[in-house]
Parts: sequence; C-alpha cells; structure tokens
Amino acid sequence: MTTATEPMMRGVARFHEYTDRVRGILGMLEKSPNPNPIQLAMLRLLLANEERILDCAENGKPLASIWYGNAPEIFPAMGIQPFCPFDDLKVHLELTDYKDLKDADKHPLPADVCSLIRMAAHAVDEGLVPTPTVMVAMTTPCDAQLVLHELWTNNSAWAKVPSFVLDPIYTSTPEDYKYFAGEIKRMIKFLEEHTGQKMDLDKLRDVVKESNLQYEVWNEINECRRAVPCPHPSFLSSDLGWGITEHFVSGDPEGTKLLQMILADAEQKVKEKKGFLPEEKIRILWADLIPTFTEQLGGWLAEEWGAVVVQDFQGFTSHFEPIDTATEESMLLGIAKRSMNSAMIRQGRGHVDVLINDITRLVKDFKIDCVFFPGHMGHKDQSASVRFIRETCRNLKVPLLAWTSSNFDPRYLPMDQLKKKISEFFEATELGKR
Amino acid sequence: MATTSKALEILAEASKSLVNPALLDWKKQGGKIVGFYYDYIPEELFTAAGILPYRMRATGSTGTELSDAYFSAINCSFVRHSFDMLLRGSMNFLDGLVVHNFCDHMRRIYDNCKVTDSITSQIPFMHFIVLPKKRGDEQVAHYRSELESLKKHLEEHFHVQITDEKLSEAIKTHNTTRRLQREIYELRKREVPPISGAEVLAVLVGGTAMPREYYNELLGQLVEDLKVAKVDATKPRARLMVVGGGAIDDPRFIEVLESQGGVVVTDAMSFGARAISADVAETGDPLSALAHYELFDRTPTVRLCLTSSERNEFVLNTAKEYRVDGVISVATNYCDPWNFELLNTERYLVPKKVPHLALQCEYLLSGVGQMKTRVQAFMETLR
Repeated sequence: MTTATEPMMRGVARFHEYTDRVRGILGMLEKSPNPNPIQLAMLRLLLANEERILDCAENGKPLASIWYGNAPEIFPAMGIQPFCPFDDLKVHLELTDYKDLKDADKHPLPADVCSLIRMAAHAVDEGLVPTPTVMVAMTTPCDAQLVLHELWTNNSAWAKVPSFVLDPIYTSTPEDYKYFAGEIKRMIKFLEEHTGQKMDLDKLRDVVKESNLQYEVWNEINECRRAVPCPHPSFLSSDLGWGITEHFVSGDPEGTKLLQMILADAEQKVKEKKGFLPEEKIRILWADLIPTFTEQLGGWLAEEWGAVVVQDFQGFTSHFEPIDTATEESMLLGIAKRSMNSAMIRQGRGHVDVLINDITRLVKDFKIDCVFFPGHMGHKDQSASVRFIRETCRNLKVPLLAWTSSNFDPRYLPMDQLKKKISEFFEATELGKR
Repeated sequence: MATTSKALEILAEASKSLVNPALLDWKKQGGKIVGFYYDYIPEELFTAAGILPYRMRATGSTGTELSDAYFSAINCSFVRHSFDMLLRGSMNFLDGLVVHNFCDHMRRIYDNCKVTDSITSQIPFMHFIVLPKKRGDEQVAHYRSELESLKKHLEEHFHVQITDEKLSEAIKTHNTTRRLQREIYELRKREVPPISGAEVLAVLVGGTAMPREYYNELLGQLVEDLKVAKVDATKPRARLMVVGGGAIDDPRFIEVLESQGGVVVTDAMSFGARAISADVAETGDPLSALAHYELFDRTPTVRLCLTSSERNEFVLNTAKEYRVDGVISVATNYCDPWNFELLNTERYLVPKKVPHLALQCEYLLSGVGQMKTRVQAFMETLR
C-alpha cells in the first residue's frame, strides 16, 4: 500500500494518462475518412468527464466518490463532480492489455473476491484515483461493495474523507421508497456540510428533466431491440445507456444527444426490418451485468452462430418511471425509486422474486431463445439463486446455459473455454441448427 | 485445561451435536423451538414467548450433496452445510426459523426454504428480518418495526402473548447470561487461565441449544468451579486472541490453534466477546432497547458499514486487557465481509506492533496439518 504526501494529488498522473490516451484516440478517429459518430460522441463524453475529475483533483474543487445507484442526479444539482473509483480503470482496461487487473492480483484480498472490487481496492491503495472531498457509500447490492468502502476508509489517504452511507431497505414497498428518499435527504445535508455546496432545487429539476429524457430515449432504444431481427449488436444500449445515466454526470444533454443518435439509427433499421445480423438465428438474454469483453464475445456470437444478446440486466429499463419534478419531495422519491431499481441493485438487493420476475418478463418481451447465466463470481446472492433460475427457465421453456465466470476478468474463464461451452450448448439444444 | 466441572462437561457435550438431553426434554414436554442465524436476532423475544431460541449450526454435517442444487461452489460453506442439514431433516426438531439479510449467502436460505416443501412441512414458522446495514436513529426505528413484526408473527403463530413485562424479564435473563459469560472471561486474565479457549467456545455454543434458565444455572456453577479450580502451574507459551465471524462454532478449531502451546485467552467473535460485551438496557420500552442494543450498544458487526474503526479499537483494547501476545483472525472462504475485515484488522494492528496472523478456512474443520504449521510459525515470531 502506498501513501501519498499530497493526498489531493493522488491519482492525478493516472488521470493525465487517461485524458492523453482518449485525446489521442479521438484525434485519430476524427482524422479517419468515416468516423463512427457514436464512438466519437462517447469518447468526447468520457474525455469531458475525466477532465472534470482532473480539474477537481488539481484545483481542490468538490469531488465525491460514489457508486452507481447513489442518486446520481443530486451531485450536478449541487455543483459536485461525482466519480466512481473503478469506472475509468474499467474503461481503460482493454486499451492497456488489462494491466490494472493483472496488477490487482498482488492485492492481499483473496482471489475469490469479485475481480472488479479487488481492482477498486487496488486503485485506492495504489493511489490510482484522486482522494475525494467526500465519500458516499451504498450498502447494496453486494457485501463486497459495502466492505470495499470500509476498506477505503482504512487507507491513510482516505481515512479523513468525510463519509456518508446510503442504506436502502431490503424490500420495495412504498414505505421503503419513502425511507430511502429520507436517506437521500440526509445525504444532501451531509454534502452541504462537508463540501460547502448548496442544493439548488431549480438545477435539480433541470437535471431530473434531462435524466428523465435520457431514460425515456434509452427505453425506446430497448423497445427497438425487441424487434426481430435486433437492429443493433449485443450489449450496445446497455453499455452506453448505463454509462450515460449512472456513470457520467447525470443529466448531461450531450449524453442525451448520443442516446438520441442511437435511437434514430435503431428506429430506421426497425422500419426497414434491417437487423444487425444479415440472418439472426439466436436471441440471447444475458442474466447479469454485462462483461468487459462485450466486443470480443458479441463479435464471436454474431459471426460463428448468428446470435445476438438482445438484452441483459444492465439494459433493462421498462420498469423505470419518469420522475415527477413538481416538488422537492416528489423528486427525491422518484430518485429513490430509480436508484433502488438500478441494475443489480434491483435484482440483487431483495428477495429472489424480483430476479425471477425480471427474467420472465425479459424472456417474453424480447422473444428470447435462450438464457445465459454467467454466474459472475462476485454475485454471491445470484450464485445462491441457481435453482430458481433453472426452474424459471424450465417453466418458460427456454434453454439455460449457466456457468461460473468473472464479468470483469477474462482470465477467470478464458475466452476459448467460454466459446467451447457456448458452442456445445448451441449444439446440444439444437439452437445452432436453425 | 485440567479443570473438573460437571457443568463444563454438559456444555461441552452439547456443543458436539445439534441436540442434547436438555433440548430433547424441552421438546418432550411440548416446548417450542425456533432457530435463528448468528447473534443479530434478539433471543429475548423468543424467551419472552416461552420459546427456546436455537442458534443455527451445522455441527455433524458431512457434505453438501443436497444443497449443491441450490447453492454454488462459490457460496459460503456454513450456509451450504446448514441448508443441507435442513434438507436432510436434521433440523426437524425446530418449530420455526428466522433468517435475515446479514450477507448475500445467508439471505438466500430464506428464499430457498420457502419453496422447499420438505422444509416448510416440518418447520411451519418462517420469518425474514431486515437488518439495517448502517447506524442511525432512523435505522433503530426501522429495526424496531422489524422486531415488532416478528413479535406479532410469533404471537399469532404460536398463540402466545409477548407482553412488555415478559420481554423485560427475558432481557434480564439474557443479561444474566452475558454477565456470567463475562465472569468466565475475567478469569481468563489470570497468568494461567483455568479454562482453555476451546472450552470457552464450547460453553458459549452449547448454551445456545438449551433452555435459558438451565443454561444460566450451568454457567453459575461453572464460574464457581473455575474460581477454585486447581490449574497446571505452567504458563502458556503464548496468550492468543481470535477474531472472527459467526461461522466459527467448532471448539476443535480453537483446539488446533491451541495445539502449539498457546492458549486463546480472549476473542472478538460472534460466539464470544463481541456478543457479550454489553447488556441490553433494562428500562424503557423493551423493543426499543433491543433495537438500540443491536445497532449502538454492542460491539458493531462487520455488516454495519463504516464501523471497522470501532471493531479495531475493540480488538486492540481487548488484546491489551488480556495481555495478548498475538492475534489470529479467521475468515471463511467466500465470505467477503470477513475477508475484508481480516485486512482491516491487519492494517490496524501491524503498525501498532501487535503480531497478527490471518487464516482462511472452510466451515468444516479441514487442512489441520497446514493450519498447525502456520500457527507454529506464528508462535515462533512471538518469542
């Protein structure tokens, strides 16, 4: 574990490295004859976000360490830059041959801890992320996330960072949502006390209106993915939609524009009955968060089997309702509901019924041919739900392929073994003969 | 230790299996028994209802063949063994079971039980309690409402009335247990403790499977026996402390740690000092007192976010109080809360020059040879 003499300067060199890299890629893409506008817009969003984090770290502006589902609309409304300490590491993994992931192997936590959580522990220990002004933790959806924040507070550079914990209730009754809205209200008070920033309700209203629009557009993209054939490749909307609504600054109109761009393309393709694949043969539900190796896996599924992952838990948006912006109370309640239903927090937080109902609904809505349950090694609650998943799929009469892997570490189950597993499954179920 | 005590014998025997003569007598006389996991559900509620609270264990389990269809290999072995015993009918002496959301593994025991006819037909009372995962007045209020629901459910199902008077009486009874257990801990401060760490764990485990008044009687006898016990004059090679979670319930595990000449003189365990360090307030609204105890009065559990500094201090202060030479932390494989805690403890103790050994293990005692070697090597560093 390293210690930095200048806590606020921790992570700065690393973030300069990120911004330099993204600028370089952007520059190359902009000069190419046919740049992909979606890729360009996404990289610009990423760069802007990394530059803002860097600005906070270098100039002492309020920076909050958060996690997804931590009421992201609140932070821009208070003029606080949020960041999740694993986000940028994760984004840059494929561009750096998974260096941080490999380096995280040296971390003293046991290997059975979620690869993503280990990487986030490594990031703070090694000073790869800036020390925030405040830290907001959430006690759900998994044990590891809770104790990761505990570990961070034991790091000498983070020990004095004022911290607040959001504790959503296990169940999802109207009373539970009210309780969590109260937690968000208490978080606002905490942020005001420790950052000197004030909540601006008009600004919050603007952020929420924009994020409402983002969720609406994202949902429409997903509606298009119900079409047979699916207009876009595996995982596309889940990756971008989740990133824009939960991981970049909430309510950024540039994010909305990017989603609208994707929607326009999807609608056009649906209208023309044009699929991403010339001949779509197999439609898959990925019952978990999406992996980091989406392009490699999605590309192989398409090329080898004419298969596409049309939906996953990360991209499931049908249950989100627009937030009522009439009053402070209505906004906080809406943010509470949205946060408690964010991907994985929704399926992993409470009783198993939600997981079963979501699989059932997704299989029906998206005309799914088979379910992949990747059994991410970090999702221990889901691993304790295997019987329910098997039974649900049996009742729905859709074949299930369940295995144990890491969504964030391709070494856990090497790609060639995963491909072999999937190929055998397609052959055994005869889905591959379509 | 060479201490002779009938009470110790009875309790040690009770820790070796799921049932014991006192439990069977209770059942024979028509008494009800409700199981619960770990020490986060107030046993006082059951006692006040005239029900015997039974802390769940998987003592005697030999495999997880049946539960493997429900849980994966990356789930905690305590949970898998415990659910396996439920499936095999080994826990059919229970009339009810209370589960909670302590961790990602345990909370699914409830979901899996609810849909398994072979379990629900034998154990008709099932209840789930939502445990808050942070401290605060709002969380105390919420947890109190959860206890209120459990109380109501117990009253309806078992046709009993849990009055405030009965609850206050039960709080006093359980405080007596904690006080007597602390008396035993006090005696362990002696140069040569009159009782080994393994025996103490047996005393604490055995007591969670018998009527409370009877257990208190045995504890009282044991305290008196220990006070006058003639012990071996040889000082232990090292005074050890064990830190760990609720899955450590096998005294043989502590025996292994003590096999290299050291004696476990104290601990920060769930079956141990963490659970007995404070009493429940005996005045005021009893349900509020129980809720407040769980979240504020007792040493916090790893489940409560941002409380490790308090646990670290508890470990350090206890180590000083008991003149401990080295601390051994233990976590079950795949248990994220405790594996992180091991690291937090280590990072806290080592700069303070408190020797620390971190061990990972399975619920069933295994890898004894390797563990002995590690403890032996650790003991060498204590010289």
